[in-house]
Amino acid sequence: MIEKTYLSAGRSAPLRIRVNGRETELDVPPSKRLLHVLRDDLGLTGTKRSCEIGRCGACMVLVDGEPVNSCLAMAYQCQSKSVTTIEGLSEDGMTLVQQCFLDEGGYQCGYCTPGMIVSVTALLANDPSPADTDIQEALSGNLCRCTGYGGILRAVKKAIELKREQTG
Amino acid sequence: MLLNRETSGGRWRIRPDGTGKVTGKLAYLTDLSLPNMLIGRVLRSPHPHAYIRRIDVSKALAMPGVHAALTAKDVPGLNRFGIARPDYPVFCEDRVRFIGDAVAAVGAETAELAELALAAIEVEYEPLPVVDDPERAILDDAPLLYPEGNVFHRNEFKFGDIEAGFAAAAHIVEETYSTPRQMHTYMETEGGLFVPGEDGRLTAYSPTQHGFMDRMQLSRILAKPEAEIRVVSSPIGGSFGGKDELNVQPYGALLALATGRPVKLHNSRWESVRAGLKRHPMKIRMKTGVDADGRLVAHRAYVVADKGPYSTLGAEVLNFATEHVVGPYRYGAVDVDTVSAYTNNGMSGEFRGFGGNQAIFALEGQLDRLAALLGMDPWELRRRNLRQAEDPGPLGQPISVTGGAGQVWESLAGSALWGRRSDPALRSSSTAPWLLCGIGSAYVMHGAGLGVGIPDPAGGRLELRADGKIEAAFGYEEFGQGLIASLTQMLVEMFGFAERDIVVTIGDTDVVPDSGSTTASRATSMMWQSLRRMRGPFGGKLLEAASVALGKPADALALGEGGIRAAENGRLLMNYASLAASLAASSAQPIRTQTRFSYPTSPVDRVGAHYMYSYAAVAVEVEVNTLTGRVRVTDQYHAVAAGPVINPQGYLGQIEGGSSMALGFALTEDAVMDGGHYVTKNLDTYLVPTIVEQSGGVTVDAIEELPEGDEHGPRGIGELGSVGLAPAIAEAVYQATGKRVSKLPIDPALLQERFRFD
Amino acid sequence: MAYPHGELLRSPSVWQPVSAEEAWRLKREIGTGASFVAGGTLLRTQWEAGLAPYPAHMIDLTGVAELSGCGPVDEEDGGWRIGAITTLAQCRSHAGLFAAYPLIMEAARTIAAPAVRNLATIGGNALSRTGDMATALLALDSELLWQNDAGTVLEPLSDWLDRERAGLSGAPGLLIAILLPAACRMPITPNARRRCAFHKVGRREAFIPPVVNVALNVELDGDGAVADIRISAGGGTMIPARLAAAEALVRGRLPDAALLEELHAVVMGEYAPMPDPLVGEDYRRMTAANLAAAALWQASGAGGRGPGEGEKPCC
Repeated sequence: MIEKTYLSAGRSAPLRIRVNGRETELDVPPSKRLLHVLRDDLGLTGTKRSCEIGRCGACMVLVDGEPVNSCLAMAYQCQSKSVTTIEGLSEDGMTLVQQCFLDEGGYQCGYCTPGMIVSVTALLANDPSPADTDIQEALSGNLCRCTGYGGILRAVKKAIELKREQTG
Repeated sequence: MLLNRETSGGRWRIRPDGTGKVTGKLAYLTDLSLPNMLIGRVLRSPHPHAYIRRIDVSKALAMPGVHAALTAKDVPGLNRFGIARPDYPVFCEDRVRFIGDAVAAVGAETAELAELALAAIEVEYEPLPVVDDPERAILDDAPLLYPEGNVFHRNEFKFGDIEAGFAAAAHIVEETYSTPRQMHTYMETEGGLFVPGEDGRLTAYSPTQHGFMDRMQLSRILAKPEAEIRVVSSPIGGSFGGKDELNVQPYGALLALATGRPVKLHNSRWESVRAGLKRHPMKIRMKTGVDADGRLVAHRAYVVADKGPYSTLGAEVLNFATEHVVGPYRYGAVDVDTVSAYTNNGMSGEFRGFGGNQAIFALEGQLDRLAALLGMDPWELRRRNLRQAEDPGPLGQPISVTGGAGQVWESLAGSALWGRRSDPALRSSSTAPWLLCGIGSAYVMHGAGLGVGIPDPAGGRLELRADGKIEAAFGYEEFGQGLIASLTQMLVEMFGFAERDIVVTIGDTDVVPDSGSTTASRATSMMWQSLRRMRGPFGGKLLEAASVALGKPADALALGEGGIRAAENGRLLMNYASLAASLAASSAQPIRTQTRFSYPTSPVDRVGAHYMYSYAAVAVEVEVNTLTGRVRVTDQYHAVAAGPVINPQGYLGQIEGGSSMALGFALTEDAVMDGGHYVTKNLDTYLVPTIVEQSGGVTVDAIEELPEGDEHGPRGIGELGSVGLAPAIAEAVYQATGKRVSKLPIDPALLQERFRFD
Repeated sequence: MAYPHGELLRSPSVWQPVSAEEAWRLKREIGTGASFVAGGTLLRTQWEAGLAPYPAHMIDLTGVAELSGCGPVDEEDGGWRIGAITTLAQCRSHAGLFAAYPLIMEAARTIAAPAVRNLATIGGNALSRTGDMATALLALDSELLWQNDAGTVLEPLSDWLDRERAGLSGAPGLLIAILLPAACRMPITPNARRRCAFHKVGRREAFIPPVVNVALNVELDGDGAVADIRISAGGGTMIPARLAAAEALVRGRLPDAALLEELHAVVMGEYAPMPDPLVGEDYRRMTAANLAAAALWQASGAGGRGPGEGEKPCC
């Protein structure tokens, strides 16, 4: 009975995930964190390492479209799921959100920026015109030490405005 | 000018380094890796203070996949580092003095192996009494960190008859202020890649604020000529002073040379907390007297700073605090004593504001308390005592003359936020009577540059490259502040180049000149000075060469976007690539101009005294919830007088970002230690502001006007926004609650009231 | 030594049972080296801080069918069942749950940040004892459905927390679901006067564990007197508890100024915080009393908004 559910005993097990639209199969320990899978095994270093306990948001990615701290998610938790990193957002050119961060100066050192943009992307995908309190809640898990969030808020508001114009 | 995107017009530019940052494509130095690379880890002391009786790395070394396990005896050169005084051990030999102290380092094939190797190193310690209080550290009976005693550094500044001043005072305020052990909390922790070359050279890809200083220090540690070391140091995921000193570089370099393989280190957050620098906690006792008209007649300050175990820039920070507890006011008499004490707590060092944050919190607190005693408007009290443009600096030294002090005073006095003080609606609401509002302000005069007696070189290079690009090379670092953007903007606006004509080269000791450190709010000033010095010679050479190539008189030509243009109508005559090609064809000397000078200093014999100052005035509105004692900042106004705005987006970002750090300093941040051990080990307990803390507005008035004939141009603003907010919050809290805050971060228990239901 | 444990050479085995019975049996057979893992978010902070051993075996609960689902038990009863692995994000956004038990959403909104809530589960937060969910669930008279050797067992959340407080530690099995009684459900009819409030104070405004939390679930009668009330409070490392003396004091009485003053005093005496290096106990007691009394004051119609909310009253 136990054998049936036995996934792995300290060995690598095949992890099948879709990363930025590409089916990927990797031999990694099932408990390896998605952050390290992305950075070390797949070379996707746009996802940043900072606190590694889910408290800063620098490693934010989308898992099946929802924001997840990749330092918290373990490989087995992502089995058969679709992961989008900052690199995957801009494969077809810069997104509106990215362009707004650029235009408004919503970044300084840039280290929190990929995670921040991933969170903003998820927010606006779920709600194209969030209230200020919704923006605050959505970004409360993304720490920025440089900007004081002023430029970030301006970028988010600009993105909301442009999205509204686009959709008429 | 209220600074924002609209008022900036076409000067609001997209940063040249922005695209890589918003797309995640920019590789930070901790993102680099190489095939065949090893992972380095450092073994640090579990004890805040102990003798080392024995270190045995043999079991670690015997592990397959572990290629090096180094200790003090493996350091070929000086087993010490430190920007000002090399007393910080690379590896401790026989004694550890704080829990960040390194005793060994390993290089292994994987991170997991490196971790196991650390666990296999045997170290025997004999714990010593822990000195964890800087005031007790300097008492006669304290255990000693060093045979010479626990006093690391003292300074003083005195003039006038202080006792007579107090005797004549109508009101005297005595208070003790305490400030927290604030952590830089750069989002990218320390790390880098260290690569030994086949030619015997070593390249260190690792963030720092002064590549040449790192190179010199590594040369000393490795006993290797500086020419054999290359330091690549940008881009950087935040620093704020915290990566100016060496951190992982000695270990990476030693491991790479010992193994002959590339070695990567990247600190975990906990290792960063444990080993990294913090802002010096300070306790500042002040006694200040005013006469009945509100003139400051006597001011006494005693500062005790918690140094931690080694020097780094602790003396310079204390000197800065000595200057800034005096600040922008005129006094009848001043009596300042400051001391920095060794402890077994965490390492204190350089951090944005550099001792000014602590000093100004105390000084402005005194002014607000005195105003209350006098029954005077606190801003009026400042006006009565404010320095005049021609006055000497805080230490009596000549300083550059600006009207900044008066300008920021006027700006704040006329601001809408400050005007709301008299609004009766500022009191409380009937539906939530526990919410109280208040408005407070603070005044900042902040020195820039390293000060008298400290080498403070500056300079840079301009060159027309063979491919026609104008290359600007500076030895400064980009850690997010927008240095590349500011330099590009100056080249565009001072020379007329287009952004696409320009290549900025920084952060690589092999190819840039030494421009001094990227610290002390100095880089933008020094780049501006450099370009101003090079504009004539470099522009002249370009026009002369074009004159030869085009057969037109040089005075009929002008520099412009894309190339040389006709002076009279701006028509493009020759692009820069063609100019470069014509130079090459005629075997002429490449066009290159270099400048080297020093940051301006005051002509006095007083180490650390500053010559260049920026001014700021800050007003904030707070809301205090008396049920919980928690404080929210609901609006901010910053008036800043620092000369011309070079880069509006960067300027605004520096003030907003700096004030956010100050908000944390005032409300949430403290790296708590207990007996020399950190209690707050990661970002779940060490609390930097979230976007929710920053939900209030921030208005910035940038006052650009300088006196006619001013030669110094833009003053630094990198630190200015981070200094004045805390005292303004403290005063706003007093206005809301009637309670005085003297300790940061503010303890909600102080402001909490038992709610009454009547 | 407080080194993060990291993924050491021997990586844990991961077991993926599909039923609660199988999951429980795995745990029994493997023993202390095994850890149930749902979202794993709190466990990660404990592993990294060295507060919990990095397990040799992880038992992944996300494939266990009985542990998911969130909805009414049946139409007759009116109570709800929330599967233990329901994520906090689901609790935050579930419209039906919000209508029936708004306290759950209010608590979920204050826990961690949205991305963490996408992994973290209500069961994990409740069983941590120190999160916000247990406090909210206490004020709703929740029951826990456990899987253990005896099969499935139902017990009041407050009983389990009482045993934890008494040091009889350890979950009595695998948590399958949380059951919310019909009696605590928000009425469909708008004229009934049930009010709920959840208030939390931390060391920061967002993304912070509670220093103090207070949940209030009160029903007022036609005269404005307290017909029925549940108040619970927690925060820090204390195990959340119902404030029974406070409830007894106000039940059947009109919440006027005098009663609120009494209530404040009773909560000050009854709320029992644990020592903490960062926040004092006196402060916690005063905060709990202030929040509880102010919440009832507002629920009785005296005030407009919640005591924890920081919207500007002015300016």
